[in-house]
Amino acid sequence: MQMWVYVVRRVALLVPVIIGVMTITFALITALGPIQQITSYFGPPPTHGQIHTYNPTIPCSVLNSSQTGTCANPLYTQYASKLGLNQPIFIQWGNYIYRSFTFQWGLVSNHSAEQQSYLAGLISGQPVATVLSWLLPYTLELAILALIIILLVAIPLGNLSAVYRNRPVDQASRVMSFSGFAFPGFLLATLIVLAAVLLLGTSTLIHTPWCPSGETALAELTGSWPSVQSPGSCAYPGAVAANFGYPAWLHLGVISHPTGFPTVDALIHGDGWLAVDSLLRMLLPALVIAFGSIAILLRFVRNSMLEVMNLDFVRTARAKGVPESTVIKRHAGRNSMNVTITVLGLTFAFFIGGFPIIEDVFQLNGVGLIITYAVLPNGEDFALIFGSTLLFTFLVVAANLIVDVLYAYLDPRVRLG
Amino acid sequence: MAAPPSATPATLRVGRRPNPQLDQWRRTWYLLRRNTLALVGLGIVLFLVAIAIYASFLPIPWNDMTAYCNFHAAGCEYVCTYTGGAAPGPNCYQVASNFPSFIPPTLSLSSGAGQFPLGSLAQNPTAPLYYNTFSGILRGSDWSLIIAFSIVVSGAMIGLVVGSISGFFGGAVDETIMRLVDIFLSIPQLLFVIITVTVFTTFTIPGLSVLASRVTLLCLAFIIVWWPFYARIVRGQVLVVREQKYVEAARASGAGRGRIIFRHVMPNSVYPVFIQMSLDVGTVPILVGGLAFLGFNLFGLSTTQVFPEWGSLSAFSVNQFGAVFSACSVGACILPWWQILFTGMMLFLFAISVNFFADGLRDALDPRLRR
Repeated sequence: MQMWVYVVRRVALLVPVIIGVMTITFALITALGPIQQITSYFGPPPTHGQIHTYNPTIPCSVLNSSQTGTCANPLYTQYASKLGLNQPIFIQWGNYIYRSFTFQWGLVSNHSAEQQSYLAGLISGQPVATVLSWLLPYTLELAILALIIILLVAIPLGNLSAVYRNRPVDQASRVMSFSGFAFPGFLLATLIVLAAVLLLGTSTLIHTPWCPSGETALAELTGSWPSVQSPGSCAYPGAVAANFGYPAWLHLGVISHPTGFPTVDALIHGDGWLAVDSLLRMLLPALVIAFGSIAILLRFVRNSMLEVMNLDFVRTARAKGVPESTVIKRHAGRNSMNVTITVLGLTFAFFIGGFPIIEDVFQLNGVGLIITYAVLPNGEDFALIFGSTLLFTFLVVAANLIVDVLYAYLDPRVRLG
Repeated sequence: MAAPPSATPATLRVGRRPNPQLDQWRRTWYLLRRNTLALVGLGIVLFLVAIAIYASFLPIPWNDMTAYCNFHAAGCEYVCTYTGGAAPGPNCYQVASNFPSFIPPTLSLSSGAGQFPLGSLAQNPTAPLYYNTFSGILRGSDWSLIIAFSIVVSGAMIGLVVGSISGFFGGAVDETIMRLVDIFLSIPQLLFVIITVTVFTTFTIPGLSVLASRVTLLCLAFIIVWWPFYARIVRGQVLVVREQKYVEAARASGAGRGRIIFRHVMPNSVYPVFIQMSLDVGTVPILVGGLAFLGFNLFGLSTTQVFPEWGSLSAFSVNQFGAVFSACSVGACILPWWQILFTGMMLFLFAISVNFFADGLRDALDPRLRR
């Protein structure tokens, strides 16, 4: 089979999976009831005019009639028919799938604005898909950084612990990876921030090339960009007063233009120090994420390496006098690598669930942070929760697709068989 | 290393029917026994289970932690505290005047020394209202273990049945089930749980209290996203097992499909499931803690209540710790390290001990990895 045929086939197989996930979210959103559905799709009921509610029935006196009793709410009727809620469930399902595929995911509720941050103010009332597209690049860059760290540590360490099985190296790597697995991410992240602030002090300013006037340690560690409101108030080159002191390409200090990837954008605008800063701010969160999910990959690398090292061709290589380091690197290592790639998708799906926590602790302007806004108990933002679920589903599915294609590319037996 | 013991010699027990399954377990236990780390893990898990059983007989409130305060007030137990000088009474605790709710650990279990062996779990550093870390951990043990085990065991049971059917019958059945599994594997786990629990906020199961229905709902949500992992593992194993000679022999001797699946295929495919189960059971309290950390009202309690479950306790204490930290400048501040240390330690201890056990189990059960 040609490579492209394989890719097309894999993509085609993904469509039913995505539709299946959407069916599950459809079932849940239907269980919410029509009022919540209308609110999450069209935003809260208008505050001007007579009717302030989406309830199906309202007291007739609201409709300026002299009648008493309850009447049908015209607002409800109008929006319910717009959303197709009066149609059979299959049609509703079809509508939902269509809306999901066309990124009509509703509006972010206004209550996010209570969070008192630039980010919350920016997103409230905006379409969910738009907001997610603003913040996704940041989360992706963080995920890629974490994945690179995981790969850089897990593959050499896994190979080492397979070669030196049950020796100190193996035991140490085992204890380390299991600790990461067993240590609650929220605890570790909070401890790191607190410990750093303890060491550096709460009031002393840290002067850096990208923030010559200095920032407090807490501001230095959290937030995705140098703060302009902390005591030192770093001055940005090209700062715009109307943009709260951020340069024009960094909208409200939340979204960077044009790509949204912070490091890339800073480089595009020629600010090398800011690029370094944005990367450094991601490093600690990425390390926490990597520490938490390295165990899966590490154990897998070790076990697949152990299996490969028992195979005939490795014995043959040894028998014909190939140096041991070459056997490990070239013969065993490369073959165990192929299998290792298949776990990458799983690792990705595993650690992406931890993003809300990490982004919350480090206050990074990513998708995870707004999920934490959406789950607060005083009025959940269903449009945002469901939208980010769909987005994360797309991410997981895309990651699995990339992994499969990569695997097929490296191992021809997969696409031929 | 001595060779693993084979079946007991026939001369010792005349007429004993050979029991290969029992022999397999004996062999596994023998190999496991040689792995110190795994044994330590097993020991800790058993200890925690014993604590949980003990805790279920204790006269501590089971659904909400007792609130203590240092003055006589409605709704909380009175505890005597003093800020300096000599202790006014036998059961009094010294606290700093600006942090009246921080009682440091007394680290003593004797009745004379008081009831705060692991210190207080302060809800608000300056408000004199707090909880007992020790009783929270003790009471939390049965909730945490019940939630963790019920999720993992139910998920594994569903996965075992579904995976066996899928792998054994193959064809269209397999295709259908595996696509279903793919769907569930693509949903982000934590987000799905968040959605389910938020959507059914007001949902109560008839005959159960609000809290019990919330816990049940949480477990159900986790089970829904968890069984597909097991189904996939079991299916892969069954695909290998069903081609074995003994399955063919069973079929040749006229065994029905049900008998082959439940008596021959399933018992021989469960080993990887045990390993995965013991890996997963430790992560449940951590995940629950993560959800609680996000400020998510998992158990439908009011804001002044704290649910005694390790994950929630840890999340609660970490949140409070952060609040204390940002509220005061270092130096003049008391850091309630005991809050996060002991609650976090329970999560860590449970997760890492089941991990060590699972790793030892894998080495014992998988001949390719045997040392």
